[in-house]
Amino acid sequence: MAFKHFEAIEKHAGLLGVLIAVFVSIGGLAEITPLFMEAHAVKAPPGVQPYDALRLAGRDIYVREGCYLCHSQMIRALRAETERYGHYSTAAESVYDRPFQWGSKRTGPDLARVGGKYSDQWHVLHMMNPRQVVPQSNMPGYPWLLDKKIDPDLIQAKMRTLRRLGDPYSDAEIAAAPAAVKDKTEMDALIAYLQGLGVKNEPTSMKGTQATDGGAP
Amino acid sequence: MSTFWSWWVMSLIVLNLSAALFLFWWAPRAKIPTMPDGTSGHVWAHGVLREGVRRLPRWWLLLSAGAFVAGATYLTLYPGFGNHKGTLGWTSHAQLARDVAANNVNLDEMLKRFQMYPVEQLAHDPAAQQMGRVLFDDNCAACHGRAGKGNVLVGAPDLTDNDWLYGGDGKAITSSIHDGRSGVMPPWASLGEDNVKNLAQYVLSLSGSPHDAARAAAAKPLFATCAACHGPDGKGNQALGAPNLTDHIWLHGGSVANIETTIGGGRQGHMPAWSPRLSEDQIRVLAAYVYHFSHADDAGRQ
Repeated sequence: MAFKHFEAIEKHAGLLGVLIAVFVSIGGLAEITPLFMEAHAVKAPPGVQPYDALRLAGRDIYVREGCYLCHSQMIRALRAETERYGHYSTAAESVYDRPFQWGSKRTGPDLARVGGKYSDQWHVLHMMNPRQVVPQSNMPGYPWLLDKKIDPDLIQAKMRTLRRLGDPYSDAEIAAAPAAVKDKTEMDALIAYLQGLGVKNEPTSMKGTQATDGGAP
Repeated sequence: MSTFWSWWVMSLIVLNLSAALFLFWWAPRAKIPTMPDGTSGHVWAHGVLREGVRRLPRWWLLLSAGAFVAGATYLTLYPGFGNHKGTLGWTSHAQLARDVAANNVNLDEMLKRFQMYPVEQLAHDPAAQQMGRVLFDDNCAACHGRAGKGNVLVGAPDLTDNDWLYGGDGKAITSSIHDGRSGVMPPWASLGEDNVKNLAQYVLSLSGSPHDAARAAAAKPLFATCAACHGPDGKGNQALGAPNLTDHIWLHGGSVANIETTIGGGRQGHMPAWSPRLSEDQIRVLAAYVYHFSHADDAGRQ
């Protein structure tokens, strides 16, 4: 390599741009590609099931309303988080989340293990107007969720698509799906989804060792 | 990570670092044709801007060398270079376990002390109060409010008034938190709208609230059904969690409309069980914090 090569790069902006892109992408190739390829090898641990019909419909409401913009679903392996939210999240817990809802923004609290923390009635009041139960909350209300019904005609197509991607739905489950969401409001579906979050999918290896250890003031 | 991807990562790191290192080493030694005026001859803006030929500044060389050393040190000590675990053997999960253990060492002595007191006495321990407040704000305040005043919309009782649905001693409060509570009042709309309205007036009469005496009298025989849980005189039953109807404390609101809704539709208020989320020690500390709401003045007597 000699100076004339650099002269050529320096004088041709297009070539310079291409070479910069190549050099910068080496970082991405090393950090992203292996995890992306190996993600397909993650298997569902025992206890982690695909969403049942109502929860699946609720998951779509969660995505539609943009809940992930303020709520993460990923408890990091830091003591301050495991004491407040429970066991840290693992990749295997999210195998049936398409797309995953980990999020990177917490205007509100993490929801990865919110299932069962509040009653269904609390969730309804909270969704209608959060200030009814948490006076200092800045979350918007979602009152229209009570008015709209889940469309039972769409749920089977969703489940069949997910089955094609590898979710183990049985024919019987798909056949029963429209009946399970019939006459349910979007509120019912969303609450069913929230009440299932983190329930029965805590990693068994360390179950109960974090969330239940003496909390610090 | 599989062997292939491990090699993939390692090759890319070596390629990237060695290319950068080569430039770092070569650039100061490169033979640059220099014009008589000391510039490289590259010009911009029709000769207004010319490119000088200078040595790289020492601070820049030192910083870049530092970056190489830091990168190599990191990849040696910590995970990152393919499947190399790092000589320190550091993982975020082990770090968390160490942090939790270190914190437990700090807490253990205090929690052991807490275990020696009954909940009623723990309620006046400042350290337990401090710990209880954090736990309460995180877990209980969403329904009971940060001040413990409750919320009639969700049927969360006021914890400060010393009126208890399931008993107010330390043991009963601990049990309520540990196992949760579920209201089981059935709907009575089947009695007919008029009877529900009459019963609401009778319930109001129990606490001496303003009521329609004629309607209340009409409902008196019907109250026999309610008496199964609320008692013949409406004083409630803590074994069942049936509220006392003779005080002026209303779990789901005390307006005529509220009471009619309660009777017609029933109430199934639900408090989740906290044993899956909180440790026994945490639950006792919380019970003490809740007990303190209605016994703040007892400190002198303990």
